[in-house]
Amino acid sequence: MSIRIGKGSFDSRVQKGIDNDFMLNSVASAQTRFRDGRMNAAEELGNWEDWRSLGEEIRTHTLQHLDYYLQQLSDNVAKRGGHVFFAETAEDANAYIQEVVKRKNGKKVVKSKSMVTEEIGLNKALQDIGTEVVETDLGEWILQLDGDAPSHIVTPALHLNRDQIRATFAEKRGYDKSNTPEELALFAREQLRKDFLSADIGITGCNFAVAESGAVTFVTNEGNARLSTSLPDTQITVMGMERIVPTWQELDVLVSLLTRAAVGQKLTSYVTAITGTRLAGEIDGPEEFHLVIVDNGRSKILGTEFQSALHCIRCAACINVCPVYRHIGGHAYGSIYPGPIGAVLTPLLDGYEEHKELPYASTLCAACTDVCPVKIPLHEQLIRHRQIIVERQQMAPTTEKLAMTGFVKWSTSPAAYAFSTKIARTAFKPWTKDEKLSKGPGPLKEWTAMRDFPAPSKQSFRSWFKEHRKGEESK
Amino acid sequence: MKVSLFITCMCDIFSANVGKDTVELLERFGCKVDFPEAQTCCGQPAYNSGYVKTTKETMKHMMTVFRDSEYVVGPSGSCVAMLRSYHDVFRGDAEWEQQAKGFGAKCFEITQFLVDVLGVVDVGSTFKGKVTYHPSCHMTRLLGVKEAPLQLLEQVKGVELVKLPHGEDCCGFGGTFAVKNAVISGQMVQEKADHVMETGAEYLVGGDMACLINIGGRLSREGRNVKVVHLTEILNHR
Amino acid sequence: MTIQNRDRFLDNLANSLGRPRLTEGVERPTWSFNPQWQVYADYTQDQLVDVLEKQCKKIHTTFKRTDKEGLPELLIEVIASYGGQKVLASNDRRNEDFGLPAIFDELQQQGVDIRLWDSAKERDNQVFAEQADIGITFSEITLAESATVTLFNDKDNGRTISLLPRCYIAIIPRSTLVPRMTQATKKIHDAHVQGREVSSCISFISGPSNSADIEMNLIVGVHGPVQATYIVVDD
Repeated sequence: MSIRIGKGSFDSRVQKGIDNDFMLNSVASAQTRFRDGRMNAAEELGNWEDWRSLGEEIRTHTLQHLDYYLQQLSDNVAKRGGHVFFAETAEDANAYIQEVVKRKNGKKVVKSKSMVTEEIGLNKALQDIGTEVVETDLGEWILQLDGDAPSHIVTPALHLNRDQIRATFAEKRGYDKSNTPEELALFAREQLRKDFLSADIGITGCNFAVAESGAVTFVTNEGNARLSTSLPDTQITVMGMERIVPTWQELDVLVSLLTRAAVGQKLTSYVTAITGTRLAGEIDGPEEFHLVIVDNGRSKILGTEFQSALHCIRCAACINVCPVYRHIGGHAYGSIYPGPIGAVLTPLLDGYEEHKELPYASTLCAACTDVCPVKIPLHEQLIRHRQIIVERQQMAPTTEKLAMTGFVKWSTSPAAYAFSTKIARTAFKPWTKDEKLSKGPGPLKEWTAMRDFPAPSKQSFRSWFKEHRKGEESK
Repeated sequence: MKVSLFITCMCDIFSANVGKDTVELLERFGCKVDFPEAQTCCGQPAYNSGYVKTTKETMKHMMTVFRDSEYVVGPSGSCVAMLRSYHDVFRGDAEWEQQAKGFGAKCFEITQFLVDVLGVVDVGSTFKGKVTYHPSCHMTRLLGVKEAPLQLLEQVKGVELVKLPHGEDCCGFGGTFAVKNAVISGQMVQEKADHVMETGAEYLVGGDMACLINIGGRLSREGRNVKVVHLTEILNHR
Repeated sequence: MTIQNRDRFLDNLANSLGRPRLTEGVERPTWSFNPQWQVYADYTQDQLVDVLEKQCKKIHTTFKRTDKEGLPELLIEVIASYGGQKVLASNDRRNEDFGLPAIFDELQQQGVDIRLWDSAKERDNQVFAEQADIGITFSEITLAESATVTLFNDKDNGRTISLLPRCYIAIIPRSTLVPRMTQATKKIHDAHVQGREVSSCISFISGPSNSADIEMNLIVGVHGPVQATYIVVDD
């Protein structure tokens, strides 16, 4: 798997989403829960806006000095016995990890949830060299058994219901109990315990690395990241290069923002910080530790108007409030990063050609911008994308270009504009019935498929105002 | 106080009444209202579609039209938010950036102007009925006008205000989105219409004609009995 | 220890940022906002205990409070309530001070297989942890706001004690309570500034493990412990 998921055109993926009632219901109820949780958490703090401002300030400073902090991080990891590999591309990262796994003769890898390893397609790279890879996050494990892709960056199996999950467990693992979430989870616990105990290598993502100490931190609820880093002798942590904080003090702030914005928790069950290899006398933890720092297109975003997109801490708050995501689900985006942040990031990381619809999959309602805990101006960045598609990439459809050229001419010519206000009613007349259009011409055809369109006003405001002014003046 | 009316292209074409009500409201509180006839559209449809360079012509035109105005007041949170953000579009353009800043600072949405500039909360109107208010996205999130419409509505005699569930959700209009992604837009407006029906309100009121045309269009298609009115219509009702 | 491909990678970042590479002299600015320090800023230790107790309810964690004298009876009671037949505890420097050896002796006599983490026994620790009903550790720093215990794992306090057994018991000296993570991370930061070696694994633990991955239903107890009890001890 890589950043791209699913098949077919954007429109066909959207239709598939819209037709999937169960999925949409679960997305809607999840959004409501996430939203209420986030709002309660923010309210409880009282000064949420100060927190957001602090988050933004920290992220801005860190990204502005990213080369410095990554150098400090790598020095500190090495000081604590770890190896650091800087990977410019997905291929570089995968090749390095394959080498480590081969050298350690790794037969089985346990993985804790990580979006960046999805992005670089690590599982496939490991399977290619004959290594068994087991996803250990409950949601990810379900998807892995099912051969499915994540539809949300925090709860990846959001689109599946308990019956589907039960069926998958039954088919792939001979599960024969009920469809209650408790029993399903208990089964996963039992199955995966065996994998944890027999794995040679643990692979994790990284929520934040701490430059001053060389620590990598995992923010989780299930405990699988802790198991993946406690039991295997070799640990490989893969991080997007921007997932770093200067010191432990900033870690506090960003973790606090992340858990609140993501699910409304004050902290997740586990926040775990691992620094290098296990120390003398320690039994748990890796004797060999590798940190792989991944660029994979991120450096092209640095220094551009999109730089703040790299501030993202993957909390999914924007996804959880997005009304478009609510109505089409995650898979419609065709990217492992769905929703507003996905629509911003995906074209940056993987180009416009495959993802040119994404910046338009938004009403620009700005709900995303409003909730982002690090204040990424998401809806404005979507407009920037559209601008690039139109002006730089020249990818806009001809009809749209003509319409917009016409619009600008109309809106800069008072005479043409005033004339149109005068004749609009007459122009719409052939389609008007009972002061509305139920089947519109041209672009209104799409509109009127779902709703009526009003007929232009009977009386012109302009002529009313002239009369009104005369009356006022004669008073 | 001299005020120039910015009617917005939507109202200019589809809702002359909103223009009239806005003028009368302003006059009721002592404003002298003029209507610069050369005004057109704020440029948002093209700007939001990514046609930034060409839309600058529209924006320059609008700034020129209202150059001598003391205040520019319009019945739309979205269009006024656009006017107020011109300076971002002209950032780095020495001549126009400065002008856009001055221009933006004198532009107001009607309820914002009534409450924040004129200091009016009770407009002295009467309107009988059960009303639910849709807080439009750009009005609340881009312009930051959240309280003013509610403060004004609460003082109108006869109005029974009921809260719209999930009011903060977008109605699915989104300008060209409603055409470009008509299928998604249709789903969104359908959900919004459902929420309106849940309230049992007789009137849906809002501050942006575009959203009202969208939600109203869906309610009309469903044959619902809810009347869709602009804020100014209630505030100017005697 | 190797660091590979660093210069090329970081030079490229500096290039994207439109300036020469920065290798030294970067200072964190003084942040304009510091809301994290205002949380429960003027609370007494007892008020923080109340905050902790309330938060425990939200994270499905049993809260108990006692003093050193009451600890033996309470601990034995909690262990019994979890049906603890196999119990693993950290070899903590405070065990003696809190009277744990005597408690463990008594449990041993009752037939409970109770062991202390012993680094000399290597992997046997993990094998026992995996079969254990209960893991017991002390909290180093306790965060009232989120009801979080902080562990500095080391050779005497294995990472898996709080992870592999079915149930987890944290002994929380009241003096370890602070308002929130801010105070804990400040201590760790200060340790780094002073050049002290910091634990290879710092675990912030807030209750039992859980997941909401199936239809957003909260399931308590997934890969880690299924149940947790905090015992606050007035010290």
